[in-house]
Amino acid sequence: MIVDDHDGFRTFARGMLEAAGFTVAEAATGAEATAAARTVRPGLVLLDIQLPDFDGFEVARRLAAQAGAPVVVLTSTREASDYGGLIAASPAAGFLPKDQLSGAALRRFLAWAPAGEGRA
Amino acid sequence: MNRALRAALVAGAVAAVGCFVWSSWPPNSRYAPVEVSFAVVGLSFMVAGIAAWQRWPTSRLGLLFSIVGYLYLVPYILVNLANPVAWTIGNLSEGISGAALAQLGLAWPTGRLRSRFECGVVVANYVQNIAFNTAATMVWNPAFSGCNASCPANVLLIGNGSRSAMNTLDTIEALVGLAITGIVLTLIVRHWRSARGWSRRAMIPLLWIAPAVGVENILTGNLFHFPSLVTYALLPLLLLAGPALFVISTVRARTAGGALGTAIVDLEPGAPPARLRDALARALGDSTLQLAFRLPDGVGYLDTSGQAVDPARPAPGRAVTPVTEASGAVLVHDAGLGQEPKLVRLTAAAASMALEHARLQAEVQAQLEQVRASRARIVEAGDAERRRLERDLHDGAQQRLVTLSLALGMARDRAAKADPELGSLIESASKEAREALTELRELARGIHPAVLTETGLAGAIQALVERSLVATTITAVPDRRYPAAIEATAYFVVSEALANVAKHARADGAQVLIRKFPGRLLVEVSDDGAGGARSEGGSGLRGLADRVASVGGVLRVDSPPGGGTRLEADIPCP
Repeated sequence: MIVDDHDGFRTFARGMLEAAGFTVAEAATGAEATAAARTVRPGLVLLDIQLPDFDGFEVARRLAAQAGAPVVVLTSTREASDYGGLIAASPAAGFLPKDQLSGAALRRFLAWAPAGEGRA
Repeated sequence: MNRALRAALVAGAVAAVGCFVWSSWPPNSRYAPVEVSFAVVGLSFMVAGIAAWQRWPTSRLGLLFSIVGYLYLVPYILVNLANPVAWTIGNLSEGISGAALAQLGLAWPTGRLRSRFECGVVVANYVQNIAFNTAATMVWNPAFSGCNASCPANVLLIGNGSRSAMNTLDTIEALVGLAITGIVLTLIVRHWRSARGWSRRAMIPLLWIAPAVGVENILTGNLFHFPSLVTYALLPLLLLAGPALFVISTVRARTAGGALGTAIVDLEPGAPPARLRDALARALGDSTLQLAFRLPDGVGYLDTSGQAVDPARPAPGRAVTPVTEASGAVLVHDAGLGQEPKLVRLTAAAASMALEHARLQAEVQAQLEQVRASRARIVEAGDAERRRLERDLHDGAQQRLVTLSLALGMARDRAAKADPELGSLIESASKEAREALTELRELARGIHPAVLTETGLAGAIQALVERSLVATTITAVPDRRYPAAIEATAYFVVSEALANVAKHARADGAQVLIRKFPGRLLVEVSDDGAGGARSEGGSGLRGLADRVASVGGVLRVDSPPGGGTRLEADIPCP
C-alpha cells in the first residue's frame, strides 16, 4: 500500500510497483491509511513521512498496533539524516529515499521481515 | 541680603566696638579682662546677626542677633562716658540685652513670636528688667563703690541711697530672673517638641544655646557671689555659645545644597519616586517632606506614600513648592523651610532633574523594549519564512525531481534492452536529475534544517556533527523541545561554529555541549585549533552574536592565539 498525499507520486509508484509484480492499494492520508490497512491487509506499506494529518511516524505506530501488522517502509524526498533518530525509534522496518524506490528495493525489506509476499 | 544692609551692619559693629574701646580708654588693668570679654561677646552677636541675615533673609533672627549685640555694649559705653545723664541711662538699661536674648530664643528661628502669651512674657521681661534697674538706681549711691568726686552724679538717687535696699532688690531681681529663665527654657523645649521637619532641625542649635545662656543668667545673678573676674569676664563668655553655634549650623547648612546633589547622584537609575523623596528628605533634613503627583484625572494629588494632598490648601505649618509644571509634581514641606528660599529652589530643581531623568530613562527603556521585541519578531518571521521555503521546496521541486528521476530510471531500464545508446543517454539524464535533487536537498537544508523542525535540537545537532568535516563529539545535548526561535538560534550557533572550525581553526577535534540551566540554555562549541577568532569585524561571528542577541542571549568567544576556540552562547530559555 502506498501512503502519500502526492497524487503524481502515487500514480507513478503504483505503475512502477505493479510492473514489478506487486498488487497495489493507495491512501492519501494517515487516517485513510490506518483504516484501509484493516480491510486491505497489505504485506508492506510504503509510508511517506510528511502527511497532511499525522506524520508517518505516528501512522507507523498505529499500523504496528494492528493485528497482522504490515512491514512499514518510511519514505521521503528528504534523507534519513534529516529525521535524526526518529526513524530508528519508529516501529518501521526501515527508510527508503523516494528517488531510490524500486520493486527490488522493497523486496529486500520484505526479505528481512517474515511477512506476506507480493501485496504492497 | 543686599550690599547696603551688609555694609551698614559691618559699619555698625565696627562703630559699636570702636565706641566701646574709646569709652573705656585708657585701659585699666583691673577692668581690662572684663572689657575684652564684653567686646568679644557683643561683637560676636553682631557677626551672628550678619550671618543670620545672610542665611535667612526673610527671618527677623538677624535683626534680633544684632539688637542683642548692641544692647550688650551700649549700656557699658554709656556708663563709661562719665556723664551723669548717660551714666543714669546706662544703669537703667544694664542687662537689658538678656531680655533681648530671651526674645531671640523664643522667636527662633523665624524671629517672630508664636503667641500673645509669649509676647506678654517678652514684654514683661523687658519691663521687669528696666523696673528693677530703675529701683536699684534710685537707691544706689556711687559712693558705695568707693568713688566720691570722680564718679558721675546719679541723677535718680533718692537721698543718700540705701545699701540694704540695694541688696534686697538684687536678691528679688535674681529670683525673678531665675523664674523667667525657667519659663523661657520651658517654652523653648515646647517649641522644639512641637516642631517638625525643617523647623525642628533649625531649632537644634538653640537646644545648645538656651541652656548655656540660662546657666550664664543664673550664675551671674546675685544669688551667687563669685569673684568679679568670674562674674563679669569669664561667665559672660558662655554667651558666645549663641553666635558660635548659630554660625557653625549655618556653615553646616550650606553643605545641604551639596548633600542634595550627592543625594540625586546616588539615586540609582529608575528609582521609584519614594526613593527620590527619601533622598531629598535626608538631604534637606526635613523628614516630613512630601513629594506629591497630580493624579492622571487632573484633579487631586497623591504623595509617594499614597496620601491625598491638596496643594491649594496645605495643612497649617506646611508650604507647597511646585517642582515643574510639566511633571505635575509638588513638594510639600515644613513652612519654616521658606526661610531658605535658595535651598527650596535647589530642591525643586533637583527633584525636577531626577524626575525628568527617570521619565527619559523609562522612555528609553520602553523604546529599547520595543526594539528588542521587534528584532525578535523579525528574526522569528525570518525563521518562519525559511521553514516555509524549505517545505515548499520539499513539497514542490524536490517531489517533482524525485518523480522525474524515478521515471528516467524506468525509461532507462526499458530503453536499454532495445537501444543501448538511448539507454545511456537516459542514464546520464537520470544522473543529472539525481544530482539536482542532491543539490536541492543541501540548499533546502541550508535554508532551514528539516531535522530541527522534525526532531528538535538533539537530532539536528547529531545530524550536524555527522556531516561535520572535523571529528566532533557531542558531550551533552538535552532531548527536550524548546521554543522554535531558541532551537533555531542554538542550532545556528553550532552550525556556524562547526563551519568555522572546519574553515579556519585547523583543529583535530571539536566538542559540542548544550546544557539546560534554570531559565537559560547554554550552547558551547570548542575546538583544539589555532584560536585567534574575534567576534568583531565582518566575520560570521558578528552575525551570530546578533542572532543570539535577538533572543536576548549573549555570545562569548574565547579564542587565545594557539589556545583553541571556545564559543559560548547563553540563551534565556523557559
